[in-house]
Amino acid sequence: MDIELIEIQEFLASHPPFDRLGQETLARLPRRLSVRYFRRGTTFPPEDADQPLLYILRRGAVELRDRQGELVGKLAEGDLFEMPCRTQPAEAGLQGLTAEDTLVYALPCVDLSQLRDENPTFAEHFEQSISNRLRKALDVVVDNPAAGTGLMTVQVRDMVKRPPVTATPDTSIREAAGIMSEQRVSSLLIMDGERLTGMITDRDLRSRCVATGLATDRPVREIMTEKLTTVDTETLGFQALITMTRLNVHHLPVLDGKTVTGLISSTDLTRFQSANSVYLVADIHRAGSVDTLTQISAKIEELQVHLMTGGATANHVGQAISAITDAITLRLIELAETELGAPPVPYAWLAGGSQARREQSSHSDQDNALLIADHLRPEDDAYFSALARFVNDGLDACGFVYCPGDVMASNPKWRQPLRIWHKYFANWMLKPEPMALMLSSVFFDLRPLHDPEGLFTELQERVLERSRANRIFIAYLAANALKNRPPLGFFRNIVLIRGGDHNHTFDIKHRGTVPIIDLARVYALSAGMPETNTIERLQSAAKCDALSKDGAANLIDAYEFIGTLRMRHQARQLRQGKKADNFVSPDDLSPLERGHLKDAFVLINTMQESLGQRYQAGRFT
Amino acid sequence: MPLLLDWRRRWHLRRAPPGPLRAYLQQPFPPVRTDYRELDYLAIDLETTGLDCRRDQILSVGYVTLHGVAIDLSSARHRVVRIDRSIPEASAVIHQITDDQAAMGGDLTEVLGELLGTLAGKVVIAHHAVVEQSFLDHACRRCWGKGLPLPLVDTQVLAYRTFERRQIPYRGSDLRLHALGHRYNLPRYGAHNALSDALAAAELFLAQAAYRDDGKGLPLADFLR
Repeated sequence: MDIELIEIQEFLASHPPFDRLGQETLARLPRRLSVRYFRRGTTFPPEDADQPLLYILRRGAVELRDRQGELVGKLAEGDLFEMPCRTQPAEAGLQGLTAEDTLVYALPCVDLSQLRDENPTFAEHFEQSISNRLRKALDVVVDNPAAGTGLMTVQVRDMVKRPPVTATPDTSIREAAGIMSEQRVSSLLIMDGERLTGMITDRDLRSRCVATGLATDRPVREIMTEKLTTVDTETLGFQALITMTRLNVHHLPVLDGKTVTGLISSTDLTRFQSANSVYLVADIHRAGSVDTLTQISAKIEELQVHLMTGGATANHVGQAISAITDAITLRLIELAETELGAPPVPYAWLAGGSQARREQSSHSDQDNALLIADHLRPEDDAYFSALARFVNDGLDACGFVYCPGDVMASNPKWRQPLRIWHKYFANWMLKPEPMALMLSSVFFDLRPLHDPEGLFTELQERVLERSRANRIFIAYLAANALKNRPPLGFFRNIVLIRGGDHNHTFDIKHRGTVPIIDLARVYALSAGMPETNTIERLQSAAKCDALSKDGAANLIDAYEFIGTLRMRHQARQLRQGKKADNFVSPDDLSPLERGHLKDAFVLINTMQESLGQRYQAGRFT
Repeated sequence: MPLLLDWRRRWHLRRAPPGPLRAYLQQPFPPVRTDYRELDYLAIDLETTGLDCRRDQILSVGYVTLHGVAIDLSSARHRVVRIDRSIPEASAVIHQITDDQAAMGGDLTEVLGELLGTLAGKVVIAHHAVVEQSFLDHACRRCWGKGLPLPLVDTQVLAYRTFERRQIPYRGSDLRLHALGHRYNLPRYGAHNALSDALAAAELFLAQAAYRDDGKGLPLADFLR
């Protein structure tokens, strides 16, 4: 009986890309390895190897530096050093030094190439064909067993408990109320034959009939809500929840194609823990003062942690938190108008940055601007100044701290009539100065929160028209999008911050999510698309050839994966009572996550380079 | 001592019957002035029914070859020995070798013969080597009537010397294989069998050698007992 080197096999099995080898291949693999040990401070790779070898770090760490002595990469447990197996030594001049006492397994390069030939999925790792790996990684990271039946995975079709209770538009209000109590439902769908024409709820009966003294023999069509938002049967629970939160409604008809199959209510959703964002928003709408809003918003962090433990992805969390910030902003605007009176001329409150993209996390800062109708008189500015101050202060009190760059409506520069905004954008796009490019993450991601007169639509249409036609501007924007590069060393290693408060970490936001957000903005503006949300931008870009379908799908996966790691990092910090930040240590990631994160970084790098080539971005930096 | 050892080898050689032991003894021992990095080693671990080489028996043998400072995992072997009495429960718990497995094992002569074939020309590495030395010596006497002289590196003795030389206070438990592995940042093997312990001893030797060698090499004599 021959005991296999089972522990070495298990080690390999839990580290990419060996995790993709079959059981039999894995069982044979340890026998092809040799073991070496290097004291801290030893040159790596060793010069005494008698053949080219792939090194797998079992214990310890290796630092890789370029000729100037600059740290370009760090290998940790489970990482590969495959340079000796490459045919063209692209990284000559690199110096490796063991940073700790290090034990490595070495595999002859001939064995590696045989493994690659025989195992296509294994070979993908080295060919850097990343898409599948990333998709799988995303499945793993959001596939939290505790959330198996959570709001994030369940479709509304599975939540619809009964066929819809309906009535015709001509049914009298009294009859309708009778049906509702008999069937024990709080809402009634109004159907004209097969067509859904409206809905009434308990609240409608109360506020539109009883309270107004309307005769109960009138037809329900007089009190029904006609403008209905519906959801498809395949909608995920969390999306339905976000829709309800955003619209502040509690019932959504469910449609299969054009057929009404039922109704879901916020109560259906609250069977799932994470549904408390609906209640949060309802509380916000009732809040009578900034103090109350402050108290409510203290629960946002808790919500973020809750959503993450429920298995949500970064997109889910971003959508939920942004919906709440929207609600808070709107309520603050209402409170301001109550205090200051009606506005002298129409205006639009614009959210910028992460709120506009619906990608906020609980500690985002605020970016916003005021767009005012052109017949603004000079003396009216006092009103808008006070309004802006009220809302900015309120948001700050609620934890959405002042924008460090002062991009807020209270800054007179960003509180301007429509014609000035037109001029601003025209200038930025004609002469893309560094300042404008820096602000592009705010001003080319704008979303109107309160815009009763539709002022923003006009501005946006002009901006998109210009951006589509202005290749020079897009080239500048592209060059700007290449400024934040993923922290990737020459050997697919994550380059870490050294020293200071964030020693041995990397900035997952600026080096991971921001590059993708920037890429998506370039694609969107080059095609003149109105979307602001990064995932939506990438999806639309794929539809209009600004981006290949694969490219879009891969970037979305990478974005979700990195974003989800980031959110999870922050949720962990919040749970520990710390302040959430973006500095992630590779030690906190599993070897698999590290591997997939590197994949995502490699992908971003590739997409950045191809964008750079397309717009010859080097000329515009 | 090494001179004496080689004299013993030649003395045994003249008297050993033809067979694996004789073939092993024919191979001269490596000169003690040789740079340790140019030699081959065999890291060995035995599991036994107890500690008395006259009364207790070898249950299993694990070994792996080192070419200089690289452990060659393709050479890793683990052999269970068939024995003629049941295994005391206490040692079965440790080695996880049951009577059934032991009954399926190889004959001692055969297992030993295979080991000697691999061993020829190499230096033995073992942790607390007195067990390996005494049991193998005794087993060879039983099979071929003559003992087994071994050039031996004992990683426990090397560790002991380091502690003494640097005047580091230590306890007996600090000299155990896994405690020492921890000091040198070596992987910890959960399974406890002759092969994984032989491998752990081999890795410990690499670490000890790396800490002694300033890059210029050292003579084998510095490592021998």
